[in-house]
Amino acid sequence: MTTPNIAAGAYAAIQRAANGVTPTQKTNQTGGFSQMLQNALGDLTSKGQQMDAKAMAAANGKGDLVDVVTAVAETEVAVETLVSVRDRMIQAYEEIMRMPI
Amino acid sequence: MDFMRSIFIAATGLRAQSGRMRVIAENIANANSTAANSATDPYRRRVPSFATSFDRDLQATVVSMGRIRTDGSDFTVRNEPGHPAADGQGNVKYPNVNTLIETVDMREAQRSYEANLNVITATRRMIARTIEILRA
Repeated sequence: MTTPNIAAGAYAAIQRAANGVTPTQKTNQTGGFSQMLQNALGDLTSKGQQMDAKAMAAANGKGDLVDVVTAVAETEVAVETLVSVRDRMIQAYEEIMRMPI
Repeated sequence: MDFMRSIFIAATGLRAQSGRMRVIAENIANANSTAANSATDPYRRRVPSFATSFDRDLQATVVSMGRIRTDGSDFTVRNEPGHPAADGQGNVKYPNVNTLIETVDMREAQRSYEANLNVITATRRMIARTIEILRA
């Protein structure tokens, strides 16, 4: 049963090399990806709220149709990008989880 | 992002052309409006103008509706003695609106609007194709 231990050690070494920190330091550090995702989601929420406000104004006959279209396009781009990045990250994670150790 | 900026710039074009359309609609709607009496002038044709400006937020040159000026050309005079707005000789002043010219202007506004819509459609397609790379 030496192979799994060697593999685990190798993975840990790669992780240390990639992060430049020791495993003990790693515990109190927030994840880079989750932080990025959180920022992107916050940005997305504000964009969605702006879009909703514009759509409501247009429905009430006060807003401009062009404003609604541009706001929707902006939100759509943000959502599509975020969803694609998330899908890729989940896919990569699943691939790592499937890796035989 | 440059893509979003092009969409916003095209949107200013849409706004300008819709404003122009409004002025043309006013002109066509009032093509037959006469004054209440012979002493006052009837509706005067209005001419929209476009102004180029630099948008600081967008960091781009955009278009906006400039001042709407009036057409100073002579009114059409028709001889209609029975008309309430007729003067002593029976002449009635009609607006200096030529419906044919307004129709051609309207077509131009429509074409310009469609050109700006095409910019938005093409930009959106470019964005969608770029995001597709992530999904592949």
